[in-house]
Amino acid sequence: MKKADKILIVFLLAASVLLLLPLFGRTEQGQYAIVRVRNEEKMRLPLNQDGEYTVQGTLGDVHIVVNDGKAAVTQENSPHHYCSKQGYVDSPAVPIVCLPNETVVTIEGGSSLEDTVIQ
Amino acid sequence: MTKGIHKITALSLLVAAGILMQIVESFFPIVMVIPGYKIGLANIAGLYALYAWGPKEMTVVTGLRVFIAALATGTLFSVSFILSLTGCTLSIITMTLAKRCGWFSIYGVSTAGAASHTLGQIIAICFIYQQFFMGLFLPALTALSVVSGLCIAWLTAKLLRRLSPKTKLA
Repeated sequence: MKKADKILIVFLLAASVLLLLPLFGRTEQGQYAIVRVRNEEKMRLPLNQDGEYTVQGTLGDVHIVVNDGKAAVTQENSPHHYCSKQGYVDSPAVPIVCLPNETVVTIEGGSSLEDTVIQ
Repeated sequence: MTKGIHKITALSLLVAAGILMQIVESFFPIVMVIPGYKIGLANIAGLYALYAWGPKEMTVVTGLRVFIAALATGTLFSVSFILSLTGCTLSIITMTLAKRCGWFSIYGVSTAGAASHTLGQIIAICFIYQQFFMGLFLPALTALSVVSGLCIAWLTAKLLRRLSPKTKLA
């Protein structure tokens, strides 16, 4: 280990912490769960209303459940099922991403200003 | 003549070992909060080639490894192949530069390679899927790439000490 190695490691760790900081600024509650397939908005689910929904993903149907102000993907076709393992999500900073299905569920606030900020 | 044959054989063995590590590793995805994180054991082959021979040999070993592993798993020209390719291209460039400038030991070179591999993959994901908040995973993946970079460097240093003791690791 040389000195430059340690500087590089410290720099990378500091960079990752710095990149993480802006995420804590967005802690407000969202009002909608936006479902996008291939970046095209398919559904806008109100979080205050429980329900089960289905959307057509690339590899098949993706089941989305809204319950108790939170949204989750419950069933989908993908190799590792990352998005169903992720469980319920209610923070705008945490999207549910299912890349094999090209499906993304994000929590967003109600105002139009908020939408443009996130986009 | 024998020296050339020796080198070709050694490089082919490295490629084969790299392919094996990549395929075996894909059987055991470390499912954590962060999707897509892997230690990247296959990079041992590339890093070994860089230190035992040079940048040219590393490019050959890593390039062939990515191509043949994709061929073997049937993911050739799929999204994961493109991600693998962009990550590897960027990490080959970074590791070559990091070794050339002479400031870093094997640990620094490997960590720089791992971090740039992560960066390349995130950029490729953002471009392919046009979903820029995939960048949200960047902080966690960068921090983890330091861990995997150090692991790979440690393993490769051990290998080099046994297989070609004359190599300078500094």
